[in-house]
Amino acid sequence: MDLRIIFLLILQVIGFNILLVAGQSQRIKDGMYASISGASCFRRLNGTHQTGCSSSQFGSVGALHLIQVVEDFEFLLRNPPAPPYAPMIPPHLFTRQNMLRLKNEARQNITVVLLINDNEKMTQFSHELTCPNQYSGLLLPNSKETATCDTQNAENAWNPWGTGLLQEDFPFPIYYIADEEEVYKLKSCFQKFNNFDYSGHATRSLCAVEVTTFMSAAVNSEVCIRRSNFINNLARTRYCDPLEGSNVYATMYPRNLSSSITEEPLEIRSDPNEKFILISCRMDTASMFDGLGLGAMDSLTGYVTLMSIANTLKQYLPQNFSELTRKLNILFVVFNGESYDYIGSQRFVYDLENLDFPLPSTLTAPISFENIELMIDIGVLDEISAINVHTVNTSAKAESFAAELNAQSQNFDIKFELKVGTNIPPTSAQSFLRKNLSFPALILNSKPHNRYYHSIYDNAANLNFTYGNHTEQNYTKLMSTEEALQYFSADSVQMKIRNVSTSVALALSQMLFSKGPLAKVYASPVLVDELLHCFLQSADCRLFKDASPVNSLPGLPFPPSRYISVAGSPQDSSGWTYRVLGLLLSTEVADSGEEKCGPLPLQWITGQKGAGECRLTTQNYTHALSPAFLIDDYDWKSGQYSTWTESTWGGLKARMFLRPSRVHEIVTLSIGIVVLIISFCLVYIISSRSEVLFEGATTSSDALTAPTAC
Amino acid sequence: MDISKVTNEKKLQLCRTYFIAGLAFLPFLWTINVFWFFNDAFRAPAFPEQKRIKKFVISSLIGALIWSVILITWIIIFQTKRAEWGEMADRMSFIIPLGIA
Repeated sequence: MDLRIIFLLILQVIGFNILLVAGQSQRIKDGMYASISGASCFRRLNGTHQTGCSSSQFGSVGALHLIQVVEDFEFLLRNPPAPPYAPMIPPHLFTRQNMLRLKNEARQNITVVLLINDNEKMTQFSHELTCPNQYSGLLLPNSKETATCDTQNAENAWNPWGTGLLQEDFPFPIYYIADEEEVYKLKSCFQKFNNFDYSGHATRSLCAVEVTTFMSAAVNSEVCIRRSNFINNLARTRYCDPLEGSNVYATMYPRNLSSSITEEPLEIRSDPNEKFILISCRMDTASMFDGLGLGAMDSLTGYVTLMSIANTLKQYLPQNFSELTRKLNILFVVFNGESYDYIGSQRFVYDLENLDFPLPSTLTAPISFENIELMIDIGVLDEISAINVHTVNTSAKAESFAAELNAQSQNFDIKFELKVGTNIPPTSAQSFLRKNLSFPALILNSKPHNRYYHSIYDNAANLNFTYGNHTEQNYTKLMSTEEALQYFSADSVQMKIRNVSTSVALALSQMLFSKGPLAKVYASPVLVDELLHCFLQSADCRLFKDASPVNSLPGLPFPPSRYISVAGSPQDSSGWTYRVLGLLLSTEVADSGEEKCGPLPLQWITGQKGAGECRLTTQNYTHALSPAFLIDDYDWKSGQYSTWTESTWGGLKARMFLRPSRVHEIVTLSIGIVVLIISFCLVYIISSRSEVLFEGATTSSDALTAPTAC
Repeated sequence: MDISKVTNEKKLQLCRTYFIAGLAFLPFLWTINVFWFFNDAFRAPAFPEQKRIKKFVISSLIGALIWSVILITWIIIFQTKRAEWGEMADRMSFIIPLGIA
């Protein structure tokens, strides 16, 4: 047959195949792999260590192995037939003991760990330390040991169920799969290909996953920040970024604006006559997995309590500062990054010391330690009906306030108990006390009951929250107990938070104004309901909408992220906190249209009526970036300030596929090598016999004229 | 350039230039010199310039060998001790590997 015809035939076959494949429109990659959606554990670093997880640079591959009982781990630890494996672990077996065994004893056999959402047998799941922020709070004299928490005895610690796995470094990626369908997909693939004839694993294809969550940073924050800042870092690679966000603050009464901007910088000093009560809580939470973790009980209850106190006090106290019997303004501060060694409050204290708070651009006098008469810090409120009022040193002020709280809480089914001593909970107040042990701080905190502290399971269900959805109600309006009970049952979380915030607001009102409310109206459980809904279920909610500028984009239909994250991230929670505090603590300015509403502190926001209203606001941001990143030549190992950074990464993804057996892979490679060698031989033979094969053909060099020079 | 078409005089000049240029810490130039003139120095029939070419080729070879010993030793030391040296090693590097010490 003519060579040409053969050639044409081959081309035709190839073309036909291409058409067939195009008809199915599936790429080979898609035919081989099924992607798995989930959330990944990632690497964070501090001044001395790296924590979290990373895959290998081009992805870690392991054959699936379902763990159902603790004995199933033995298979992976005792010379499994076809390593590496990827155990799929349900939450109740994701314990410190099991994970450290995998890390230490099965390094060769394990490349990936999958955590599957199967919370049937789960009774606890907290991977924070038993003493959160152990090294950054009050320390024992001349030691790096905490003075506020019993590290030896977990039962007396602030997080008795903590495993401390958040602070461990894992040599394999950990990937959390929440979606039931995805879990089913993995389990059925495991049943079909892996879960029989275990001794034959080495000789057949196994269902496997590939997880790519490679982290750029390594060692510790000092190293990765140094590497990122190198002048000879030609690729401009960023290895890690400091954890960074914003604190939000607001005052009950607007502060005096300084009349001229041209004041000499030397004159910047605080006004000794201006006194504040500081009410604070934290806005952030933490978890092991990227983008997950609502922190419902570990921080949101305290946050909502602060918001409710703000709304209630705004209506209990007189409109004008001059009408107060004691001239104390109230400063609300919501700290960010407190889960990572008190980033927000450390920076706040640093700014107070340097007279950098508030920023000069706000045209208000700076505030110093001396201006703060009393700090009321709201910690975790797991058990909302029995609250301890912690203070390091007893003082008349603390005692009278605690007595007042108890007196006011009679009708609200709460017991406040004063606890004096250094055994104080891990909250923002510790940053202040660390600078000045006699700082007048009171911490409202309950005995720990949260078994899911700083975890992906600290959600609405953990808080036993169901949305009341009373959209017709005005949520800022205070209401009587009878009215409140029409909407919510007495043991609902909404009513409990309403009770705490009412007690605190009444006590403060007595202290500043010497009288309570004229009518018997108390904090609104509807506001509590709306806040919890926005932060636990959907940011596309009416409270956020009302607090935003008119016609601004609505929130996204899922809860805002409350992890502090790094610069350049969306920073949802501080943005919403700013707007909500603005709505609750501002005063409406009558007869002011949109065009006349400005500049700051006047702001035009939607408001509950939805038409837009002009409000005189007091809220603002301050930077929550640890002072460690500001101080030149900071000693990273000193433990003075938070040093947390987050590694950068290229992408977080996982996919499932059939991994061929080792024998299969060797055969494929060998065939390839043989074909390569044969083709070299063939080319050599053809070229050496070219005269015979291509008889009569002219050589290509004949076409060229001989070079004249030679 | 086809070295076989160059006159012997030109060859000597080239070989000498390459050797001298290699003194400027350019061991790869010496290596090229060795490969390029090896045949002329040792395998070609004798010609007047061969002796001197041979001298340059041998010198280049020795130089290149010394250099490769130095480089290999340094690379082994640097690669094994890089993580241990910490900041100093980072300052010596232009490309720092990702994800490890």
